[in-house]
Amino acid sequence: MTAALAFKPEKARTFAKEVMERSGQNLVACYQCRRCAGACSVGEETGYITPDRLIRMILTGDQENALNNELVWKCVSCYTCGTRCPNEIQTGRITETLKKMAKEAHQAPLQPQIAHFHDAFVHSGLRWGRVNEMEFMAFYELRNMIDHVKGKKFGAIFNEIKTQSTLALSMMRLKRMHFGFLSAKGRQEIKRLYKKKKK
Amino acid sequence: MDIAYYPGCSLKQSSSLYDHQNRLIFERLGIHLREIDDWNCCGATSAGKTDDFLAMAMPARNLGIAMSTGLKEMVIPCSACYSRTLVAQKYLDHHEDLKEEINSGLAQKIKGEFKVSSILEVLLKTLETGTLLEKAVKKPSLLKPVCYYGCMMTRFPFDVPVPDDAENPQGMETLLKAIGLQPIDWNYKTNCCGASAAVNEPETAMNLMGKIMKDAVSMGANCMVVTCPMCQLNLDAHQNTFCRDQGIMERLPVLFITEVLGMAMNFSVEDLQIDRHFVDATGLFRELEETGAEKKS
Ligand code: SF4
Ligand code: SF4
Repeated sequence: MTAALAFKPEKARTFAKEVMERSGQNLVACYQCRRCAGACSVGEETGYITPDRLIRMILTGDQENALNNELVWKCVSCYTCGTRCPNEIQTGRITETLKKMAKEAHQAPLQPQIAHFHDAFVHSGLRWGRVNEMEFMAFYELRNMIDHVKGKKFGAIFNEIKTQSTLALSMMRLKRMHFGFLSAKGRQEIKRLYKKKKK
Repeated sequence: MDIAYYPGCSLKQSSSLYDHQNRLIFERLGIHLREIDDWNCCGATSAGKTDDFLAMAMPARNLGIAMSTGLKEMVIPCSACYSRTLVAQKYLDHHEDLKEEINSGLAQKIKGEFKVSSILEVLLKTLETGTLLEKAVKKPSLLKPVCYYGCMMTRFPFDVPVPDDAENPQGMETLLKAIGLQPIDWNYKTNCCGASAAVNEPETAMNLMGKIMKDAVSMGANCMVVTCPMCQLNLDAHQNTFCRDQGIMERLPVLFITEVLGMAMNFSVEDLQIDRHFVDATGLFRELEETGAEKKS
């Protein structure tokens, strides 16, 4: 992508408004001092995109790139940017919001495995009331495998199995793998609330 | 004294040693941890990334259960669970509509004053009252620790009362100094270990952990001390990999604060299950048990 930002006024207002409302962050307060850029944990991993630039993209209405870029998917929600921002803008909340908006817009995530991970985690937590690490990891890996098979990435499958099984073996040796099953009966309360909300 | 206790999913599984250690040392400090009934997963950071409603509703149910016990305070040793629960409590206090909506579906409702505490807040209180020093009879003098806080102890996605300095927290240092240790000052105490990226975006996480490790080593530390089970597992389980890939020769045990304090309270390596680390931590302590443990005057 290029460094020049095009202002798209027709999109800018509605898009920026939605991001601000859902994330609870006042983006127009940003005066581009770039303290966040220096603070960002994944600054070296995301190339051009730093928190301040993501904010600019949103304010100028560049919806397409704002919904799908390296920072949105690689942000680790460490909240360092917002702790240091003189205007208290939490870009971590913005990337969390953009991930949801990208999903609602049926945009394929730039890093599908990250999306799978968080989906699988919440799914497991909601389904049983507690996250069962083994079930959740199996579910997550399965979805990655399906992606790899679809993309005929057999090397990736091999590597994934190798890394995960080495880790699993040492976890077993240290008794850090749990074979019992965890659940909370009251999960129904949350499920019912969630259903009502989604209606 | 009784205090409500939320262990969370990882303390019941991969970090069950931390659950065990918490019960052990708090009991000795005269604090009985009362695990709340039928608690559910707090949603961790994943809920915040996938669904705003669940990110509030999941910890909210636990808060309701804790409040209905009649106790006034709940300790949450896992940093992620602590952060999510504290944020939900404060957020709902500022959003009465959402609180009402969630309460309508909960068997035990959120109402009234209630304190959600990190493990450090509770431990620091035992230091104030004098109990900690009364029980900590040994000084594990061979430890040269750096204290690692990670993200979730001091940085929050919502305006909550932060219990320690966000850039240079001192909670763990205060405790370790009190038992006679000299924790080393360093630069990476609040940096991020990558959290779940260790699984879903390993390259990023390994880079982050490598930087933390290099700083700890260059400062002359021989171990790291943590409170968060996620940070512990990441820095411990992946240490061989990221050190090998980044040319780091040293290996550092990653200790829970409960292990250091527990050893000072005269528990053994076996009592505390310190033999369940990926990077061996028993060597450091065994040597201590035989030679280095001084009786504190
Ligand atoms: S630190 Fe805050 S005000 Fe400065 S550029 Fe970043 S978001 Fe904008
Ligand atoms: S919360 Fe995300 S954007 Fe902000 S500093 Fe951390 S990784 Fe960077």
